[in-house]
Amino acid sequence: MATHAISIGDAEYQEVRSHRLLGFLFFLISDTIIFSSFIFSYLYDRSASAVWPPLGIERPGLYLAAVNSIVLFGSGVTMHLAMEAWRHANRSRFAGFMIATIVLGVGFLSGQAYEYTHLHDTWWGSVFGASFFTLTGLHGFHVFIGVIFLITVLLQTRRGVYDQSRYFGLTAATLYWHFVDVIWVALFFLFYVY
Amino acid sequence: MTGAILLRILAGAGALVVAFFALKALYEEWPKSALEDQVTKIMMALLTLGCAIVFTVAIGMAGRI
Repeated sequence: MATHAISIGDAEYQEVRSHRLLGFLFFLISDTIIFSSFIFSYLYDRSASAVWPPLGIERPGLYLAAVNSIVLFGSGVTMHLAMEAWRHANRSRFAGFMIATIVLGVGFLSGQAYEYTHLHDTWWGSVFGASFFTLTGLHGFHVFIGVIFLITVLLQTRRGVYDQSRYFGLTAATLYWHFVDVIWVALFFLFYVY
Repeated sequence: MTGAILLRILAGAGALVVAFFALKALYEEWPKSALEDQVTKIMMALLTLGCAIVFTVAIGMAGRI
């Protein structure tokens, strides 16, 4: 059965958009709660241990993670610039910054994959390893979904799904990507700095 | 130059560049009042905080090896 887009007026669109935005923000808040649960679990384990990480467990590489963090934070800036380019109707600049964001996101995932393959600890080897792989793995999964989200939105803009006044998918993708960036600030601090 | 020093230089320089653009974005977003703009302000402020943390790591002030 063929489906057809329903044409609605600007006032109705704004109302629907505000509901979608609120729903999406609730989704981000619920995702924050999931990460917070794991983070508090990690902090509890850490506070219960006299030595952290446990004896014989090696901390992951600090400077590689610092560079990888900047790659992800940089992608947050390029995503913001892509959104601004869209608002100013500069399509070529928008596409350029979107591609840059996708490349930086893939770069971050590659850095994480490199880190995983060079760590001596495992998911099941220690409490530290379990927490590290669970939290960074969950975050990496979010980045992976985010990259797919961005590619989808980029393809949708090419197909003319959005225009200058109706682009909620793009707004959602931007908010999601910023969320993924900000979660990494907390994880980087927890596992590499604190 | 060892790999660690190269990574520290990359991280430090990158943190300064990204923090500059994040603060610029925050400044430009500041007068806007829509809900998504408010969220973007919070995200940009936290992104700047992240850059500050990475910078302190790069200059050797913070971080555990």
